[in-house]
Amino acid sequence: MKMSHVNYIVLLIILVTGIWTFWGAANDKVMQMYIGVATAISYVIWGIIYHSLEGDLHPKVVIEYCLVGVIAIVLMLTILWT
Amino acid sequence: MHREFPNVLGYATDIRVDQLLSVTNSNRQALGLSPLTYNVTLSQAAALKAQDMFQHDYWAHTSPEGKTPWTFIQQAGYTYTVAGENLAKNFSTSQGVVDAWMASPTHRDNIIKPSYRDIGFAIVNGVLNGEETTLVVQMFGAGSGQIADAQPVQTVVPEQAAVVEVNHEQAQLGEQITQVKEVQTIPPVESQIVVVAEPTPIRQVLSTMFSSVTNKPMINIPTVTRDVAFLFMGLLIGVLVIDGIIVSKKKIGRVAGHNLGHILFFAALFIALTIVRRGVLL
Repeated sequence: MKMSHVNYIVLLIILVTGIWTFWGAANDKVMQMYIGVATAISYVIWGIIYHSLEGDLHPKVVIEYCLVGVIAIVLMLTILWT
Repeated sequence: MHREFPNVLGYATDIRVDQLLSVTNSNRQALGLSPLTYNVTLSQAAALKAQDMFQHDYWAHTSPEGKTPWTFIQQAGYTYTVAGENLAKNFSTSQGVVDAWMASPTHRDNIIKPSYRDIGFAIVNGVLNGEETTLVVQMFGAGSGQIADAQPVQTVVPEQAAVVEVNHEQAQLGEQITQVKEVQTIPPVESQIVVVAEPTPIRQVLSTMFSSVTNKPMINIPTVTRDVAFLFMGLLIGVLVIDGIIVSKKKIGRVAGHNLGHILFFAALFIALTIVRRGVLL
C-alpha cells in the first residue's frame, strides 16, 4: 500500500470521527464547536505531516491548510450560532 | 437592521402553547403515560422565570441572584410536591422545541416523568446577551394529593418512579432540573409583580401574554445564512474539483496543498453541518 493511501486513510478516520462525534453532540452546540475546531486543527496537522512526509512542505502550504481550517471554522460557527 | 424592520428581515418563529402542550402530551401518551393538564399558575411561574431571565440577562436554571425555578413556582402560588423545568431558546417551531427536548435524555426524563400532573409554558421574545431571543420555559408539577395516584396508564419508568418515592431532596438531572419535596405550606413571598391582590386576572394576563410568539418576516435570517454558507461550501468544493482536474490534466507543477484533502475536508464539514438545527436547550 502506498504511503499516500495510508495518509488518506488516516484523513478519512479523522473526518469520520469528527462527523460521528459532531452528530453525537447534537444537543450541545458548545461541544459541537469544540469538536469542529478540533477536527479542523487535526486536518491542518494532517496536511503538514502529509507534505512533510512527501518532502514538499513549504510555508505557503502551511498557510493554505491554516486558511482552509479557518474558513471551515467560520462556516461552522456561522451555521451553529445564527 | 432586523430590529428596525422585523417584518422584512428577522427570525421566523411559530411557537404556541397549545401546540407545545399537544406535542408534549402526544409523547407522553405514546409511552402510555397520562397527559398533563395545562395549569395557569405554572404558566405564570414560567412567565415570571422568562421575565427574570430577560431582566437580568442570563440563560440558566438558577439566576445570578440564586433564584431557582422553585422560587418562581412558589411566587406564582403553585403548591407542589414535585416540580421540574425545561428551557429552550431560539427554536422556530413548537414541534422543533419538543423534538429537541425528547432527543435530550435529561429533558426527556422531565417530559415523561410519571409523577407530573400539571404543566405550564411561557414563550417570550426579547433580547438576551445582546441577541434577539425567543425563550420557551416549560414547567412541570404535581400538587399534594396528585402524586399518590400519579401512575402511568401502561408503562412505568422504574428509576423515575423510585426517585419520586425515595428522594425527597432536590435532584438535578444534567441540565434539566427537577425537584421533589414534601408537601409544604408556602410562606409569604415578596413578589415583584403584584399577584397577591388580584392573582387570577394577572395570572390570566401573563399566561395569555406569553402564550405564543409568531414572526413571519419576508427574509428569514437563519434560513438565508444557512443557504449562503452551504452554497459557499458547494462553490469551494466545485472550484477545488475543477482546479484539481485542470492541474492534473495539464500537469502543472506548483507549491500547494492537495485538492483531494481539501475536498474531503469540506465535504465532511458539509455533511456534519446538515444536522445542525436552530435552537439551544438548557
